[in-house]
Amino acid sequence: MSVEKQRALTLSLTDGFFTAHRFQNYLWVFPLLLALAVWEAVTRAGLVPGSRLPTFSSVLIVFLTSIQSESFLLRIGYSFLNLVCGLFLAFSLALPLAFAAGSRDKFDLTLTPIVMLFGALPDLSFLPLLVLWFGAGNAAAVIMASLAGFFPIYFTVRQGTKNIPRELFDVTAIFKSDRISTFTKMVLPAISPHLFSGLRLAYDFAWEIIIAIEIATRVAGIGSFIDGNVASGSLQSGFAAIFAIAIVAIVVDRAFFGSLESWTRKWA
Amino acid sequence: MENHVELQNVSKFYDSGHRLHALHEVSFGVGEGEFVSIVGPSGCGKSTLLKIIAGLDKPSSGEVKFRGGTICGPHSKISLVFQAFGLFPWRTVLENVEYGLEMQRVPKQERRELARDYLGMVGLSGYEHMYPKQLSGGMRQRVGIARALAVEPEVVLMDEAFSAIDEVTADVLRDEVAEIHKHTGKTFVLVTHNLSEAIELADKVVVLSSRPAKVKKIMPISLDRPRDRTHTMFVHIHRDILHLLKEELENTFIRHKLKGIDELQSIHDMESGADRKEPRLKRAEVTT
Repeated sequence: MSVEKQRALTLSLTDGFFTAHRFQNYLWVFPLLLALAVWEAVTRAGLVPGSRLPTFSSVLIVFLTSIQSESFLLRIGYSFLNLVCGLFLAFSLALPLAFAAGSRDKFDLTLTPIVMLFGALPDLSFLPLLVLWFGAGNAAAVIMASLAGFFPIYFTVRQGTKNIPRELFDVTAIFKSDRISTFTKMVLPAISPHLFSGLRLAYDFAWEIIIAIEIATRVAGIGSFIDGNVASGSLQSGFAAIFAIAIVAIVVDRAFFGSLESWTRKWA
Repeated sequence: MENHVELQNVSKFYDSGHRLHALHEVSFGVGEGEFVSIVGPSGCGKSTLLKIIAGLDKPSSGEVKFRGGTICGPHSKISLVFQAFGLFPWRTVLENVEYGLEMQRVPKQERRELARDYLGMVGLSGYEHMYPKQLSGGMRQRVGIARALAVEPEVVLMDEAFSAIDEVTADVLRDEVAEIHKHTGKTFVLVTHNLSEAIELADKVVVLSSRPAKVKKIMPISLDRPRDRTHTMFVHIHRDILHLLKEELENTFIRHKLKGIDELQSIHDMESGADRKEPRLKRAEVTT
């Protein structure tokens, strides 16, 4: 075996999970473990009454059994479905409006002040009206999520459109791009870094609003599950649900938005 | 020889706030295979003129003819090299060069091969899969040139194509463009503020007056190629054109003194792109 090959092999063997560089990416695990250990110690020692804060280990056990229960997973599924529907609605409304506002000054001056006006209002203040109109159900949750998601998508896409260099529009014109190709092959990729950060914000906002609605109106979902269990004293189930939401939120954030952003990082 | 591209009394007015007269009855012809440079005092409307030839802007009166037909929009046989390169940052070098062909619905395999050929022509073989941000300014403009050539145009327009590139790189690139012109026999129209560049490349130099731009003089350049900037004739032509332009600048200066500073402001706006969407700074904001 040649020297180069040997060297390449050793490199590939050491280039695993625990090389110094990779290791640094997991430093955050330590403070997290420390916090959980403190939690466990404090509750075990009886410094905090169990009726206020259960031990971490008991929460973990309930969590592990809950995630095997179909009804628990379904509740997360309901919440997530409402969230996705709301975001989709927000996206399909905000994208064309924001693009129009970003590219036409007159339209911008007509629409954006109104959007800002609504954006300044706390979204949840509309909730009683939505419940009155649509009932305390999925429709109200979806509409509220879309409301929460609309503003970040609108403002980021509008700004992204304004930032497209004029020259790029000339490029599409010179090479005789039709309107649809101009939008799909120039405008969309050009605004994508803005769009992705808008979507990410919208996603965070929508989660908050979905949970708030479920707690306030008892729409079936993971939020009402937390509320019900905490009220009836089974704190472990409440905490288990919070863990589950955290995991879903983080995994989707990393997997979906992370991959979108790693695409833009390649070229932007 | 019949003209490949012909401008007939092209005038352009802008009506944003106050009326601005950008071009005044500009007429000249460009023969097939000819290399024409357009120079003029800064802000005179050179780039506007090129945009009109490209079909990106419409003349207020007059016409641009291409092969005898009137230009009324971008033409598939007229291509443009942009000042700031105009590359799509999310596309690789190869995909950028393919763009024009893609818009012409050339099948993928075919356009890929064509794009590779033109990348080779501008010396960028091996860079196909890089993104524009990974390239230097000179290399980016090579991609811009390859993209313009890939659609196999008859006329290549260049809008200050070398002015955003460092001096030495620009010099090398100019030689290569001269070479491409010689080999392909395409018609080239270059707008520039760099007189040496204009003379070095052109068969004739169109000198425009200050705003509203009129054709002040058309100077045929019959020096042998490749051209030597230190050649006596080259120096003479350079001096003559410089003299013409200085004369124009002085005229403009006197006119502005008479008309007041408002006109200067609007000239400044025009230079920074009349139809750009940024709100215009009020003078009060500038001075305070």
